[in-house]
Amino acid sequence: MSVRDLKGNGRWWALAGCLLWLAFTFFPLYWVAITSFKSPLGVVGGPTYLPFIDFEPTLTAWRELLSGQRGQFYNTFMASTIVGLSASVIATAVGSMAAYALVRFTFEVRLLTGVIFVVVAFGGYLLGRHIAGYGQAISLIYAFVAALALAIGSSRIRLPGPILGNNDIVFWFVSQRMFPPIVAAFALFLMYTEMGKLGFKLVDTYIGLTFAYVAFSLPIVIWLMRDFFAALPIEVEEAAMVDNVPSWRIFFGIVVPMSKPGLIATFMITLAFVWNEFLFALFLTNSRWQTLPILVAGQNSQRGDEWWSISAAALVAIIPMVIMAGILSRMMRSGLLLGAIK
Amino acid sequence: MLRQRCGMTRNDPIKHFFIWPALLIVLVISIFPLIYSLTTSFMSLRLVPPIPPRFVGFGNYVELLQNPRFWHVAWTTTIISFISVALQYVIGFSVALALNRNVPGEGLFRVSFLLPMLVAPVAVALIARQILNPTMGPLNELMTFFGFPNLPFLTQTRWAIGAIISVEVWQWTPFVMLMLLAGLQTLPDDVYEAAALENASSWQQFWGITFPMMLPISVAVVFIRLIESYKIMDTVFVMTGGGPGISTETLTLFAYQEGFKKFNLGYTSALSFLFLIVITVIGLVYLAILKPYLEKHK
Repeated sequence: MSVRDLKGNGRWWALAGCLLWLAFTFFPLYWVAITSFKSPLGVVGGPTYLPFIDFEPTLTAWRELLSGQRGQFYNTFMASTIVGLSASVIATAVGSMAAYALVRFTFEVRLLTGVIFVVVAFGGYLLGRHIAGYGQAISLIYAFVAALALAIGSSRIRLPGPILGNNDIVFWFVSQRMFPPIVAAFALFLMYTEMGKLGFKLVDTYIGLTFAYVAFSLPIVIWLMRDFFAALPIEVEEAAMVDNVPSWRIFFGIVVPMSKPGLIATFMITLAFVWNEFLFALFLTNSRWQTLPILVAGQNSQRGDEWWSISAAALVAIIPMVIMAGILSRMMRSGLLLGAIK
Repeated sequence: MLRQRCGMTRNDPIKHFFIWPALLIVLVISIFPLIYSLTTSFMSLRLVPPIPPRFVGFGNYVELLQNPRFWHVAWTTTIISFISVALQYVIGFSVALALNRNVPGEGLFRVSFLLPMLVAPVAVALIARQILNPTMGPLNELMTFFGFPNLPFLTQTRWAIGAIISVEVWQWTPFVMLMLLAGLQTLPDDVYEAAALENASSWQQFWGITFPMMLPISVAVVFIRLIESYKIMDTVFVMTGGGPGISTETLTLFAYQEGFKKFNLGYTSALSFLFLIVITVIGLVYLAILKPYLEKHK
């Protein structure tokens, strides 16, 4: 008997507590599932709990939903799927590369370079916007390019001041998550609108939404994958280096296959985040690329108390994630995500 | 939070190829909101009705700080975040402890405890509305059964805040639990064996060994949850819409109303920056308070 086993009564108390929490977790999901099979009369008549005993299940809500009487469900589902899958694939790929670089290579950035970037970007924008009289988007693009060029140029010469290392860069990436998303969502909406005036339509487009999601998933991807890569045994890579295998082949040929579980888990976590995201979708889409959370939230105001159809709509958003929860928990049992929090 | 790792680091020009895509994307997306909202926060700028932008200095900030609604909204958000994170931590830690001790049926519990945080907050809020419905919901029927009056869960301030907190607890306790469980599994067995030899009770073992050793992870998890809770928007948006009145309005929802409904850009930008300052201050105070404890247990 290991020290981890509970003895005597404690075991049953712990089990009782877990069961109580299980009931609390499952009841809402059970409720939404049975409500979607209730008839309108069955909902209005007061709560009923057991199908076939309490109430007669019907497929009314699902039939209405699938036949398109309740809004463009098929389109929205496809939009959610396409944006979700592509944003998570791109974010996982780009983020893993950055995470790998941050684990295995040394980066040194002078603090002053960062300061130059921010100052030039701000100054250039204000200059272009209020003195030279360019439009917002144009002055922003100029300011960004100028700031980037100057920052890269300045990193070539030896500047005084403190040096930022790999950990500081990781911190910078992760700290992006602290920024209130409402600020970013609103500003992005305005930037996309300005770009639209220049002829690049970004509001309510595939590219616009996917790009925003990629950018906002990257901090999480880098955070998760960095710990995963750091936990990989380095000997294999060292052996490959002795044989003069180029770094990009070490990464794609050795490291990526070795970290498949981590990549899949990160991909799924990103997918869940994108699939459920509400605020950006609310600002950046209006019809063609509207995602499921927006449609589901809209059911509320449009349909009042038609709970049977609202439940069916909510379930469409929930079910894919339930399947993923099953897969994820399987992977977790093999201790996969342990590395992520150390 | 992140352990320092040593190991081979190489210097190879290819590293730029690896890091630049991510760096560029995040730079583009993060620098624009920063520049745009910081500059507009010092201007008076409205889209509807359109008036030419005018520099007002700290005018927007002063106006906001004098607006009782801002303080009310900040207070509501703080209440919701602190109470729900505290509950998440206590419940999450208890369940994690139980699961770590090989409770029967542990595998099933793990799958099911993962679920809530993968469900869209919007959908959760809709389900909560159904369950809390005064005439068609099961909760009020249960209350009536036990002899309580029909309670106005979503239409009276206290109950509505309570309902929002319960939904937050339902959705995010699994996250806390998952992180703490992973931490518990890395604790060494031999310390507990020694404690058992000395006849330390489970209660003593918890406060003497488990809790101090879990402190660094706990601090990180609570920090993440606190920051994320302050951004709460979709749950409130669907459940109460900020009502009754503005009594459950949160910071993000307030910013949304001002920005997207009234298109009062300068004001909204100033609000976002105050929001950022509030979050940063809370984060720093939190870490400063806990720092001595963290160092004591190193």
